[in-house]
Amino acid sequence: MKDFNPGKFVFNTRLDARFLDELFDGDTVYTQHVFEDFLRDLPDYWKSTATAWQNGDRTALRASIHKCKTLFGYVGFTDIQRICQEFENSCADNTIGDLRSRYQVLLDKKEEARVIIEEEYTRLKSFNGL
Amino acid sequence: MKTSCIIVEDMQIAADFLRKFCDKSELIEVRGHFFNVAEALDFLDKDKVELIFLDIEMPGASGFELLDRLTYSPKIILTTSKTEYAFDAFQYNVTDYLKKPFTYKRFLEAIDKITPPAAQGQTPAPIPSGQAADTDFLFIKAEDKLVKLVKDEIFFIESMKDYVKFVMAGKNYITYSTLKNLEEKLNGQAFLKVHRSYLVNINKIDDIRGNILYVQGHQIPVSKDHKEELLKRLNIL
Repeated sequence: MKDFNPGKFVFNTRLDARFLDELFDGDTVYTQHVFEDFLRDLPDYWKSTATAWQNGDRTALRASIHKCKTLFGYVGFTDIQRICQEFENSCADNTIGDLRSRYQVLLDKKEEARVIIEEEYTRLKSFNGL
Repeated sequence: MKTSCIIVEDMQIAADFLRKFCDKSELIEVRGHFFNVAEALDFLDKDKVELIFLDIEMPGASGFELLDRLTYSPKIILTTSKTEYAFDAFQYNVTDYLKKPFTYKRFLEAIDKITPPAAQGQTPAPIPSGQAADTDFLFIKAEDKLVKLVKDEIFFIESMKDYVKFVMAGKNYITYSTLKNLEEKLNGQAFLKVHRSYLVNINKIDDIRGNILYVQGHQIPVSKDHKEELLKRLNIL
């Protein structure tokens, strides 16, 4: 049976809840604030990524994915962080063509992350009564 | 008395976290947040702080370039998303290295390592730019931790493209670095480049036969370009 704690916000199972509990230490108002920042920053960071991809600029692409990786970490997507890290490493030794399938995976993950954090942000607002 | 600091960080979300942790601790006073090295250096020209939280990968100059250009020696805590910089970080004698995102507990561990110079009646001493502490050991990032290697126990260092292998008695360690980088760090010490892929501890050489060095049971090639320097460094009667 699933535990129910009315005083504790339960994160979406796609997120690394254990890490988020350590990171925010139960401060759901600050969690909400950071999730809002994520939604604010992600489009800009991804725009840089998309531009680098279109230009075939692997150096800029690597740098941009590096930033996205950190951003995903702050909202508990530790699995996407790992995918970003692998992509970063691949940028050094592969052509843009070789990276295409991995880029598509990242694009899908980014979109999935955005939707989940939007939902989590709404739930947090409701939980916090804000 | 609080320790004064600045944050050099190009990600707003990371800087906000750090500022929140500083405020929560009541130990650190944030004097400013700068998005790049140039802005931070401008500030430090006028106002010396005791501590710098420093990101490494930023637009323009990197965090290491700021360290190279500092004219005094504040405590440095590096904040980055990459572990590959750990080796360089410890060569710069930084206080700690925080991998983003980090928890408040981890932040406090880093802060615990800081003793404000003012509390010791000291003033920050000028240091030569980018000079690492001259020690008989070094730390490398290997096996998900920082491993201390006593320099005199290293037989030789072998280049492996973007990595290097430290060969020692009974154990080898691989870390992210280049032979060129290590050659610079170990310049003037017992290590000598004998081949484009090898730095050898000359104290560990057993014998030389032609163009092969015998080092504690290992055979190392000596290239023509490096042989003359090798022979100069050996104490040949």
